[in-house]
Amino acid sequence: MEKTLVLQNEIPEISKLALFIDELGEELGLSPELVFNLNLVLEEAVSNVILYAYPKGEHENISLTAKKTENQLLFVLTDTGKEFDPTQMPDADVNLAAEDRQIGGLGIFLIRQIMNQVEYQRIDGRNVLTLGKDL
Amino acid sequence: MEVKILKETTETVVMIEGRVDTVTAPELHEQVSPLWNEAGITLVFDCEKLEYVSSSGLRIILSTHKMVTAKGGKFILRHLTAEVRSVFELTGFSRILTIQ
Repeated sequence: MEKTLVLQNEIPEISKLALFIDELGEELGLSPELVFNLNLVLEEAVSNVILYAYPKGEHENISLTAKKTENQLLFVLTDTGKEFDPTQMPDADVNLAAEDRQIGGLGIFLIRQIMNQVEYQRIDGRNVLTLGKDL
Repeated sequence: MEVKILKETTETVVMIEGRVDTVTAPELHEQVSPLWNEAGITLVFDCEKLEYVSSSGLRIILSTHKMVTAKGGKFILRHLTAEVRSVFELTGFSRILTIQ
């Protein structure tokens, strides 16, 4: 199974991402919890690209491919925006008291917690983020 | 996402329904941030019909907690679904926020 979703770099496109993941969940019979978690992870990754990869007003496509192998779900997110390696971002410290917690940093933390594989490559001027979840 | 704000005698309840994601989080922020200014407020987010919350929603929840408690108020999350609760546990929010 392999499916690809192409999104524009605009925030309302996130709604299409949610539908794509719901459909994937139905097709593959994934648990509601896993669908929820995949939604969290992919929204973080895609919204990062939408918000930060391109100058304002520049319209570009972002591609997300989902692939199921025997024991893994693999997502490959590709964009042509500025070089950005989310795997180098520091995690939020989730052990701090509320008053000391930072507002940011949760996104990459969630990605690392939920996925089993998180890899970034810069290939021919494109950011390629590979996210794997063992089944 | 739909938000209803009910002002009761002892607490203000914000009923959040549907999805809080990158698309809808700014609207939630717009609706709840005026409540941050009410000193001593008891503010409840009722999450019974909250289907999904991403980190953009978690940021609003954390900001709400900080702003309300800084003004001597209380912030409470109520009726979390199992999926939403698991995100709160994963992010450590369940240890720092009041969940009923």
